[in-house]
Amino acid sequence: MQTNFEHFALSSMMGKSDMPPKDNGSLCFGAPWQRQAFGIALALSKQGVFEWDDFRSEMISSIAAWEVAHENTDHSWDYYEIWLTVLERMVQRSGLLGDATQASPKALLSSP
Amino acid sequence: MERFEYSRDREAVNAARARALEALLIEKGVITSETVDKIMAIFATEMGPFNGAKLVAKAWVDPAFKTLLAQDTMAAVEQMNFATKGAGAEGEHMKAAINTPEVHNLIICTLCSCYPWPILGLPPYWYKDPSFRARAAREPRKVLGEFGLNIDPTKEIKTWDSSAQIRWFVVPERPEGTEHLGEEQLAALVTPESMMGVAIVKPPSA
Repeated sequence: MQTNFEHFALSSMMGKSDMPPKDNGSLCFGAPWQRQAFGIALALSKQGVFEWDDFRSEMISSIAAWEVAHENTDHSWDYYEIWLTVLERMVQRSGLLGDATQASPKALLSSP
Repeated sequence: MERFEYSRDREAVNAARARALEALLIEKGVITSETVDKIMAIFATEMGPFNGAKLVAKAWVDPAFKTLLAQDTMAAVEQMNFATKGAGAEGEHMKAAINTPEVHNLIICTLCSCYPWPILGLPPYWYKDPSFRARAAREPRKVLGEFGLNIDPTKEIKTWDSSAQIRWFVVPERPEGTEHLGEEQLAALVTPESMMGVAIVKPPSA
């Protein structure tokens, strides 16, 4: 079987600190935005917007930084929130969106 | 209450961030509105005909068949009248490892990627990953934990290494609360992952 990018990307995280949560064997998402963020990251890396290894390095260091800053009993841990933050950072760094000012989520929330 | 409000707000903010990012990327022509669905479809089960699920469901409702499946897997497969009849490439020498309350079975192949495809379809990506195979042989309990499957510490985990001669598959345990279901409904519950031993079968509502 030919290994495609998606399969390579996910298996490269197995057993590492940035492995996404799984439930009974499958990827699990707690909300649609988590799936959205996951899918966008894979799509952009597949297209070469950033290297998968670079995305993973950011994930691993962001997770490590969170662990230093929080008690390990802290319930505010959210894997995909870190994922989303890393993804935003990688997109910004790529220069892909030019100097488009980052959309403010707060503003979006109040818009219809 | 305050905590709940906080986390709901945080969820809403994250959802808005993801939406905003996707919208910007679509606007720039980097992705389309279908990109995420297309990418995620790759992770959906890529299995072929679901013959294995039928075998498992029959074994659950028919103890004599279960015994035959354990003792002479090929004879049991022959009874099923599958289009492939269990024969053909990579299907000739299959053996069933039956899960019990005392034993959980996991199939791997450390040397190659032997896989009983007439029963289970094509293997998923991670099955051929060398580090999965090596670690599953060495520390199966830990690897299963990473799959989100925490096996009771009192339960033994047996790892079955497939070879060119024998291709293993797992007959998972029948979940509780399925006494009222028929063979066909039961078969629908059986996932490929459960027949590899990296998942268990859950009752319909779970």
